[in-house]
Amino acid sequence: MTSRDRAAFLAIGLVAAPAALGGVYSVAAALGFAGAGAGDVGLSRFIAVLASAAVWRSVAWTLAIAAVATVLAAAAAVAVAVRLQASRAGRWLAVFPLAVPHVAAALAALILLGQSGLLSRMAFATGMTASPAEFPPLVYDRVGAGLVLAMAWKEFPFLALTALAVLDTRGHLFEETARTLGATAAQAFRLVTWPLLWRGLAPASVAVFAFLIGHYEMAALLGPSDPTALPVLTLERSLDPDLARRGEAHVLGLIALAICVGVVGLHQRARRAAPEAS
Amino acid sequence: MTRPGESGRAAGVVTRPADRAVLSILFVVVAAPVAVLALRALSATWFYPEILPPAGSMTTLVALASDARLWRAGAVSAVLAAATGVGAATIALAAGRVIARAPKAVRTAAGAAALLPVIAPPIALGVGLQVVALRAYVSGTFWGVLFAHLVPATGYLTLYFLGVLSAYDWSLEDEARTLGAAPHQVLARVALPVLRPRLVEAVVLGALISWAQLALTLVVGAGAVRTLPVELLALVRSGDDRLAAAAALALTVPPALAVSLLARGARRTGTVA
Repeated sequence: MTSRDRAAFLAIGLVAAPAALGGVYSVAAALGFAGAGAGDVGLSRFIAVLASAAVWRSVAWTLAIAAVATVLAAAAAVAVAVRLQASRAGRWLAVFPLAVPHVAAALAALILLGQSGLLSRMAFATGMTASPAEFPPLVYDRVGAGLVLAMAWKEFPFLALTALAVLDTRGHLFEETARTLGATAAQAFRLVTWPLLWRGLAPASVAVFAFLIGHYEMAALLGPSDPTALPVLTLERSLDPDLARRGEAHVLGLIALAICVGVVGLHQRARRAAPEAS
Repeated sequence: MTRPGESGRAAGVVTRPADRAVLSILFVVVAAPVAVLALRALSATWFYPEILPPAGSMTTLVALASDARLWRAGAVSAVLAAATGVGAATIALAAGRVIARAPKAVRTAAGAAALLPVIAPPIALGVGLQVVALRAYVSGTFWGVLFAHLVPATGYLTLYFLGVLSAYDWSLEDEARTLGAAPHQVLARVALPVLRPRLVEAVVLGALISWAQLALTLVVGAGAVRTLPVELLALVRSGDDRLAAAAALALTVPPALAVSLLARGARRTGTVA
């Protein structure tokens, strides 16, 4: 091993060591070797978490919310990239939500989508509802509608930027060639633009999905208390007055980490296996 | 004349009705959340079923400006963001420079390693880092939170610099060395001037990651380190929508300015349309 290789490994260690050390401590705390409530060494915390129906409900709900929000954000990003690639105003608007912190966006969603929010007032003004209670609950609801919309709003710019970058570099030229060869606009989109876009968007969409699985603030402010989003449940357990239960937070954290690493790993594997992976 | 990256399609005004419709919808969807925050912050009262507040009021902005707790939180957030931006960019540049010249297998391993703090959910990362911070006696302190913010920011910026350095012309440094420059002279006189725009972008990106960070601050700060996002969360939970909306706008302005500056810088250097 050359000195350059050793320096590279040292650099890798510098970047990844704190997170890896945190992971190791999480495993130790989940097994009862470290952290608050340490002492009862064993798998009891893993068993308690994995045997809990509430935890599995939380995991399934979190995955579903993250998936729907990612699909919505990706669909909006594709629509904007295809329709507004040439528009400077469209590009600026598409990027703007990047600047709004998640907690601020969640507050805006509360003011807009709450049962006495702006949409509810518009429904009242147009005679669609007679009171706030008649407006469908979009926040704190079990379906997570408001949470999904807020997450999609916040993640859409990243995907729009990616989609625009894909079209800027490759899409337009191929599409024009297809049109020159007689393809209709719909055929050019279906056979040329869409395959390019989804390949280019897939890594960013996977990153957004993994990010949303672990995202805390919007889930805490807009999500229901049952089922509880996985990050919210993790923080609740980490602050539990019963110190013995705090180790369960580490188990939940490891579950979230395993899901995110698994999703990214599966995507990388599928990408390598794809015949035309770019 | 077209800018680089536009592939011959002139950036400008949309003319097709369908495109105009998409642009209009996009405007409403993007502007509505920011508009309701502004309306809420600038209204004394805004009761159901009023569509718009009956009268504007500056009392909330005055309250925001005279709230010492929020100013303190803003200052803590600003110092954390600046320290995270500078610290993470420095570490990531140093790591990136070493990794970028390593063999492909090492670069691949480095990419995966840098991805770990990026994809790890903040709460999951936070509960692990909290134990590290407790052991180092910095849990619930500014330094503990700074350490926690540096972890994902360094991961993001290492990936950023690995991308930047993949197109970097190392022969410039080799030539300077051939002409007798010492390593620190090569860094100061060649590398940093060439990489300065990217370094500035990295500092801003790192600062933005810290500025909006809530989950890691909550877990590692243990409620004792009060940043602007932490105070905003407390205001929302206490039901003070008016002051919360004003604080949310205050939280949004610096990133909005940073994104605009980055976009302007990128346009000037021709990296984006």
